[in-house]
Amino acid sequence: MKRRLSLPTRRVDLQRRIPFFYKKRTCYGVKGDTIATALYASGVRIFGRSLKYHRPRGLYSMDGECSNTMMTVDGVPNVRTETTLLREDMVIEEQNVLFSARNDLLGFMDRLDRFMPAGFYYESLHKPAILWPMAAKMVRKAAGLGHIDPGFRFSGICDEIYPAADVCVIGGGPAGMSAALAAAASGMRVILLEARPWLGGSFDYRLYAAGETMPLYEQAGELSSRVASNGGIRVFTRTAMVGGYNDNLVTAVTEGTPEDPFDYRYVEIRTKSVIVATGARERPLLFENNERPGVMQPDCALRLARTYGILPGRDAVFSVGHDFGLEAALDLSDLGVSVRAVADVRKDGHDPALLEEIHRRNIAFFPGWAAALAEGNKKVNSVRLSQIGTGRSRAFSCDLLAAAAGHTPACEPLALFCGRLAYNETTGYFLPGKYPPGVFAAGRVLGLEAPTSIRASGEWAGHEAAAFCGADCHAAAKDARKALDGLPGPHAGSNWIAHPGPGRKRFVCFDEDVTEKNVRQALARGFDVPELIKRFTAAGTGPGQGGISGHNLPLLVSALTKKNAAVPTTVRPPLRPVLLSAYAGNGREMTKKTPVHEAQAKQGAVFRRVGSWHRARYFSADLDVTEEVANVRSNVGILDASTLGCFRIFGPDALSALQRVYAGDMSAIRDGRIKYAAMCNHDGCVIDDGVVIRTGTNDYRFTTSTGRAGETGEWIRYHTRFEKWDFHLVNLTDGTGVINLAGPRARDVLEKITDADISNEAFSFGSWRAFRLAGGIPVTCMRLGFVGELSFELNIPASFMQAAWDMLLEAGRDMALRPFGVEAQNVLRLEKGHVILGQESEQRTNLLDLNLGFLWSRNKDIKPVGADALGQAESDPNRLTLTGIRMADTHAVPPDGSVIVNNAADRRVIGYIGTIRKSAAVGAVVGMALVEGPYTREGTRLAIYDGHSNMNVFQHATVVRMPFYDPEGERMRI
Amino acid sequence: MFGMKKILPGFAPPLKFSYDAVLIGGGLHNLATAWFLAREQNMNSVAIIEKNYIGYGGAGRNTAIVRANQRTRENIPLYKEALDLWPVMTRELDFNLMFYNCGNVNLLHSEAAVKAARVNVATARLMGVESHLLDAAETQKRVPALNLSHQITHPVHGAMYHPPGGIVRHDAVVWGLARGAAENGVHIHQQTEALGIETENGKVTGVRTSAGTIATPRVLVSAGGYSAGLIYHMLGIKLPISVLTIQAMVTQPLKPLLNHVVSSGAYHVYANQTLKGEIATGAHMDPWPNYTTQTTAGYIKHQAEALIELLPCLAGVKFMRSWAGLADMTPDMAPIMDGNDPVEGLFMNCGWGYFGFKSCTAAGRHMARFVATDQCPDRLKPFTLRRFENHRLMGETAALVNYTPDN
Amino acid sequence: MSLLIQCPICGRRNGYEFRYGGEDKGPYPDGPSISPAQWYDYVHANTCRAGVVREWWCHRQGCGLWFTLFRDTGTNVQVSAPEGEQ
Repeated sequence: MKRRLSLPTRRVDLQRRIPFFYKKRTCYGVKGDTIATALYASGVRIFGRSLKYHRPRGLYSMDGECSNTMMTVDGVPNVRTETTLLREDMVIEEQNVLFSARNDLLGFMDRLDRFMPAGFYYESLHKPAILWPMAAKMVRKAAGLGHIDPGFRFSGICDEIYPAADVCVIGGGPAGMSAALAAAASGMRVILLEARPWLGGSFDYRLYAAGETMPLYEQAGELSSRVASNGGIRVFTRTAMVGGYNDNLVTAVTEGTPEDPFDYRYVEIRTKSVIVATGARERPLLFENNERPGVMQPDCALRLARTYGILPGRDAVFSVGHDFGLEAALDLSDLGVSVRAVADVRKDGHDPALLEEIHRRNIAFFPGWAAALAEGNKKVNSVRLSQIGTGRSRAFSCDLLAAAAGHTPACEPLALFCGRLAYNETTGYFLPGKYPPGVFAAGRVLGLEAPTSIRASGEWAGHEAAAFCGADCHAAAKDARKALDGLPGPHAGSNWIAHPGPGRKRFVCFDEDVTEKNVRQALARGFDVPELIKRFTAAGTGPGQGGISGHNLPLLVSALTKKNAAVPTTVRPPLRPVLLSAYAGNGREMTKKTPVHEAQAKQGAVFRRVGSWHRARYFSADLDVTEEVANVRSNVGILDASTLGCFRIFGPDALSALQRVYAGDMSAIRDGRIKYAAMCNHDGCVIDDGVVIRTGTNDYRFTTSTGRAGETGEWIRYHTRFEKWDFHLVNLTDGTGVINLAGPRARDVLEKITDADISNEAFSFGSWRAFRLAGGIPVTCMRLGFVGELSFELNIPASFMQAAWDMLLEAGRDMALRPFGVEAQNVLRLEKGHVILGQESEQRTNLLDLNLGFLWSRNKDIKPVGADALGQAESDPNRLTLTGIRMADTHAVPPDGSVIVNNAADRRVIGYIGTIRKSAAVGAVVGMALVEGPYTREGTRLAIYDGHSNMNVFQHATVVRMPFYDPEGERMRI
Repeated sequence: MFGMKKILPGFAPPLKFSYDAVLIGGGLHNLATAWFLAREQNMNSVAIIEKNYIGYGGAGRNTAIVRANQRTRENIPLYKEALDLWPVMTRELDFNLMFYNCGNVNLLHSEAAVKAARVNVATARLMGVESHLLDAAETQKRVPALNLSHQITHPVHGAMYHPPGGIVRHDAVVWGLARGAAENGVHIHQQTEALGIETENGKVTGVRTSAGTIATPRVLVSAGGYSAGLIYHMLGIKLPISVLTIQAMVTQPLKPLLNHVVSSGAYHVYANQTLKGEIATGAHMDPWPNYTTQTTAGYIKHQAEALIELLPCLAGVKFMRSWAGLADMTPDMAPIMDGNDPVEGLFMNCGWGYFGFKSCTAAGRHMARFVATDQCPDRLKPFTLRRFENHRLMGETAALVNYTPDN
Repeated sequence: MSLLIQCPICGRRNGYEFRYGGEDKGPYPDGPSISPAQWYDYVHANTCRAGVVREWWCHRQGCGLWFTLFRDTGTNVQVSAPEGEQ
């Protein structure tokens, strides 16, 4: 074949050869080629095999409307080779073939169509019942197009940007460019999205147009240079819109070139106004074997020649229904293709200038005719044209059949913005009934075909969009409208689909191998709307996303049922298949680290995520943390508790706000003393606990659990939203570090680095003091007893945390001070019977269930949140209640989450274990569980099941009193 | 093998003046209820009123996962019954519901999650439902594409593996039940909107529809996400429901990659490969009510981020379609199945959230009993509407839900 | 869907900066104690209306304000106050 025509419209650079691997041999394309054009130029005609029938498939369209040319590229399956730029050393493989696309050993499937009517699997393969599980496995293997290796790793670079615009124009053809220029003229910030690598749309590869003096490609060039030099327009090429959402949010994906710093870029555009100028595609013509390799859209054939310099075939037959089809036939004829015949479904209404040219070139022209059959085993070698209505026919041999029934608008973006589209009688298009505010359309998507009208409609839309955004250009918009109204309006489109006939292989949807016959079968089974036929036959649900069937299926259903106007099926994002990595961009979830994260990491900490934080859970490989626990009990340890929420609330009504959200009475806080307090929701369920101190007049500080810090501010404001209370709330969490210094020798350590009197007399359990460490670092220190030993909880400004941490380690060096993690704390507090919310409680656990009734003050002036529910539920004796248990066996430790049953015979689940550990201090295995009320009496014997052992063997525990360790609390008070 | 009789009944006979029972909503729960009413309760004068077409709502928008590893002893038997019914219904309806018994792998990303899963596993096993805890290595054997790195946002600690679960072809269930119900005399009125429920002295007397008024002593409202709004609009009864839009999406079809349904609470993700080879995934809801069934830009992005952390090879796979449906969420993630309270003759079966598909057969069967006999079956008693004012939440979720202001 | 919300302080912002706070049911019922039915009605029961609803929202990632707005739950778009309401 003669390679590469030299044309002014050509977009490939013949001097730059690009090597790639196709089926393990090296081939060459040139810079600017897509994978598909490079393969076509290398003589490849059969690209792959179809899903169900394994029919040979080839290049049919240029914008990825179907799966025909999907291939596996560098391990990525289902790549649309028509739109993917060729890169050096790409490895390209065929899909869904056994042996090769040319000689597919599964090709016999094509003869089995009689056994696979529409939806056959719904009524077969289930009898006898044993058949289906085996059949399902086979269906799975047969289905699916590409293969992805579980070990595949994507090596490309993905990023994301979030530009804002006044006007976002979708489609960089003549209408889109005119719109962008008009909007920019009013000072709007315009973003112009174009899926192809260059602007120009259909003008880019066209010459002819009635009444035009300048060839269309030159007009495109002129417009695009004006766009390029306009500072108000930001152009994104190779950027396909993929999503459109209400309030005019547009998402798109840019495919990078080797020159870009990314391979894919996710672009999310917040815009005030949207102009859809996406143009039109060709609507497939149905005839027997209408997807045989060698059959392609006229637009595809023309672009192969004009844009890529490749002659699509030697001998061509055209079967079209639109003027563009005639234009393509003429141009290809002039470029050297021998055009044997041109059939047009229209009997009249053709552009007379085009007809004249056709006659002038002596091309056989058949108005009112259309293709009925493509012949040829794997590739087209002849075509039978047939007259509509009479059945007269003629055969022509050829290697290229350029076929299309007409145009169909690329209206998917409009469907996303405007909702369901309606059939337009003039154009035969699906178009919006009404547009939401700020959404406009222009150009061929509206059915305009005259170049002047296309440009004028763009200008009008641009002015309207600018006016919508507030620009003072109403006069310009009006003038543009007037100009547009004086030009040719939307073209009458053909809604002809196919010769009526018995053909078995007239494909409505290529991806799913759905034929016209299948659609008839679906109708016969009672599926009478396109949406249901789509579900029953799978038409349009394949990777081409309805590109082939989207327009024809509704037309066909309407024609076959003879009752309804055509109703399109729903359009859903993404409008093009998008790689997950492209969507993901560089997005990573944010997590937080405490000020002493690195220091703890050096000390061997194993971290776990808690809420948005990383917390040190273990400091050794011993997950039972025996030594960490023992060191706190007998010596001294430090714990980084910086993740706890820390708040200041102040102002005249600060106390009222606290009274509202805390169950207890906050007016009873004494100077220098700490109040343990709990917050409930309206259900009375505990959502948070912490401590509250009063630091001054109408000035309080309080802590929250790690997970609650984020919500606490809005929680307090929510529950005070109707009162005009005057208070201020400051979240100090991230600015405050917390170190818990705990153990019998804690005071000995702390004394070494502070001058403050921290003796038990001056600073007793349950109180707080503010002082300095080493004469400099300000701390608020609380004597709390969460782990049950003498402990000092130091609240330190985050910037001093590292210094304080190091200082304490140094001070405690000769006392064997060592850090302990959250798991050690977990054991220590368990021994004390202290609850961790979410660990011993669940959504429905209320304050009373946790035996924390003492935190609820019933007679406050301000009724706290949850009080009514607590009162109403109080008398229910069956609630799940926090219960201390002790295992009968001192060695067997059932895992957390083991369930408790009433007895081994009945096995009724009556609760479960929140936390259970072997306690060295207690000398037993002890735990806390939620258990139904009637089973919580001390001494009750409970059966426990861990979820994996033999279900007839239960472990046993007894209900015991808590705390398990130091019940009098003496060790905290030393 | 291939009868050419209609699967979809098409236009039902004209609306009768009266029916023994009218079911509002042509989704799975009412189709199943109608079928069981006709087959097991001998109640044949039954009408289904559907505003759109059958299966338009959640029935056609879910990702078809079925399982029975719920958390509480009230829920497990119901879901187990439903799971056991798939093969039975396939036989009875003589329609291939395509139950693909691939098992469910629910990933666990922390010690706390392992603990929470153990409650489910132990409870399920005691109630006769097979379920196991797997460690990380065992999990990867089941899901070879899984990322076991500790460097991801939520490293995998293990999984809850539930072999009896899987996926069912949701459209097949709609069509099979509709065909079966129609064959048994149920009238399915599509394109017919329920406009009001008529009552007299606290008793249901009829239903006003866009096609005329029907006299009936019993109305069952089971219209998925629209149930709560309908009941309030027609009777002024408010339900503890928030209706949220839930999204799902599929990738392009692939040769077999996932052999189980894989899900993760921490990542808000589930993924399963349909028989067609697409990986269906979803889970997220914007935490505010809306009836749009529109998807969001943020969600498909989030889904991609989460999936490629968990299953890195999916970075080379493409999403091709997303959609959304409604989920009617209750505060305790358990449904409301109730009747004759506060209005005699009014039954409701709603609040399923995103569990409505898995349960439809069993719920339909019991609701049929309830409607036909006026006796609430024991299995449904815990699902009473009164549980909320009696402070007896079901505990199907351990953690607080995030779509109400109440946390 | 990409909700935008007009915050009284910060202006029109991305909906994901906000937190939904339920249908507006007015202040919590008065009185030292209320009946379970009253409690249920306030705390859990919703109208679930598909249409314009007055709701509470909080600009959680902004100024922190709680405020009410009208939103059409049928379209998920904030709308201006219906006539007769402010």
